[in-house]
Amino acid sequence: MGKISFFLKEAFGSLRRNYFMTIAALVTVFLSIVVLGGVLVFVYTTNALLKEVEQKVEITVFLKTDPDPTTDQVDAMQTKIMGWPEVKSSVFVSKEEALNRLKEDFKDNPEILQDLTGNPLPASFEISLKDPQTVSSVAERFKGDPVVDEVSYGKEIADKLFSFTSQARNFLLGFIVLLGIVAILLISNTIRLSIFARKREVEIMKLVGATNWFIRWPFVIEGVFVGFVGAAAATVVILILNSFLVGKIRNGLPFMAVPLDAVPYVLVVLMLLGVGVVIGAAGSGIGLRRFLKV
Amino acid sequence: MIRFEDVTKIYPPSTVGLEKVSLHIEKGEFVFLVGPSGSGKSTFIRLLIKELEPDRGRISVGGRDLATLRNWKVPYLRRNIGCVFQDFKLLTNKTAFQNVMYALVVTGQATGASKKKAAEILSLVGLGHKSNSYPNELSGGEQQRVSIARAFVNHPPLLIADEPTGNLDPETSMGIMQLLYRINKTGTTVLMATHDREMVDRMRRRVVALDVGKVVRDQKRGGYGED
Ligand SMILES: Nc1ncnc2c1ncn2[C@@H]1O[C@H](COP(=O)(O)OP(=O)(O)OP(=O)(O)O)[C@@H](O)[C@H]1O
Ligand SMILES: [Mg+2]
Repeated sequence: MGKISFFLKEAFGSLRRNYFMTIAALVTVFLSIVVLGGVLVFVYTTNALLKEVEQKVEITVFLKTDPDPTTDQVDAMQTKIMGWPEVKSSVFVSKEEALNRLKEDFKDNPEILQDLTGNPLPASFEISLKDPQTVSSVAERFKGDPVVDEVSYGKEIADKLFSFTSQARNFLLGFIVLLGIVAILLISNTIRLSIFARKREVEIMKLVGATNWFIRWPFVIEGVFVGFVGAAAATVVILILNSFLVGKIRNGLPFMAVPLDAVPYVLVVLMLLGVGVVIGAAGSGIGLRRFLKV
Repeated sequence: MIRFEDVTKIYPPSTVGLEKVSLHIEKGEFVFLVGPSGSGKSTFIRLLIKELEPDRGRISVGGRDLATLRNWKVPYLRRNIGCVFQDFKLLTNKTAFQNVMYALVVTGQATGASKKKAAEILSLVGLGHKSNSYPNELSGGEQQRVSIARAFVNHPPLLIADEPTGNLDPETSMGIMQLLYRINKTGTTVLMATHDREMVDRMRRRVVALDVGKVVRDQKRGGYGED
């Protein structure tokens, strides 16, 4: 009891006395956590966006036009498609509907469609999948079907997108790990610097019979305090910046539906605070080690 | 209490600190360590509290061999050796009172009784009125007395003082000597490194003289110089 209050007094006393070093350490923690948090939020958001884009991968199955398939054939096909477990939904687009859509697309310059006679457009099925990665294997099943003319699912685009997203994920993950290491080095170095300034003080404490832990505790408390405060400030900045940027994206790119729940905020906040505290405590503990050898 | 067997300490690259020093000091003795500047007095003391390791030889304090003493036990050794350092070694951001208290707090005593003890010992060295001053607000002699107070506040069985009267006027020196004398009378072993010829001559105690790291004289009731 008496000891704990002594340690707390020591810790906050020296935080105040060495205010310059305190500020330096705070700024280091703050900047590191801002960058770390920024990347984290970015990863979560892009991840959600990529998921969104992936969901948009669809298979379009064009049916033969000469002759057009009968209603029975269409119904049978729809039933067959819906029977596949990978399929989320399948919409039949008739020839007429296809033409309407075309007219709708070109309503601003109808002269393009002037020469169109009759309805040359094929009917089609638009299939969306539960797991976009299954797109190739599902598309494959239409090969050789007598009423199917052509299957299109943007093969290259889909494949490119998938390889890009998995690469992007790996890259960002690696980036976060790297950043974490850099932050730890930076912070423990700053703390070591502040401890170095108090080398003599630590030496004297040891010579009058203080144990290592007796000396260490106030330093660890200081580290935890600096880590927590720096991380808390960084977290606030991250959250404000995030909501500001999400707003900007919503206004600027309305077709990109930025999901509101993309970032698990509670988890991210706890993670950042935890990282701050652990880095602060470990930084002081490690930084102190070589001065305790008296 | 203290045994040095053939102890040699060389500071890199080749400065002699101590050379083949063998010395026994019994419990309850009062010993002066004399010798010119640079003769190895402080080196002797720093070896004693395991601030330094000898290059050769054995040192034991209170029956414990320092070479085999575990690192985590060193603080407990130091709590049993009150040490007045030549350069005082006061914590600059603590008041005189807090400096003395620190020696008690490290041993887990932060009670009202220990505060009283710290205040008393400060009065005893004549600094009752300066207990709230910081080291940089104290004169050299005053800092020295804080250092003495801190060394003795735990009533350690062994008290070492490196030039405890070096910065004091004759009158205050005499006061300090009398304090050490009284401390010694209570059974505490006292080892004092000094240049104070008059003091040594007057006390007529055991004198160990060092020169360039070697023991050149060890007299039961000696004076500062050769008789
Ligand atoms: N840390 C050190 N590194 C190198 N040499 C040292 C170191 N400390 C002391 N010495 C040398 O060791 C020798 C003995 O020094 P020591 O401090 O023991 O002398 P001393 O008897 O206490 O002198 P004084 O009366 O001036 O305090 C001296 O030659 C000194 O220069
Ligand atoms: Mg000396």
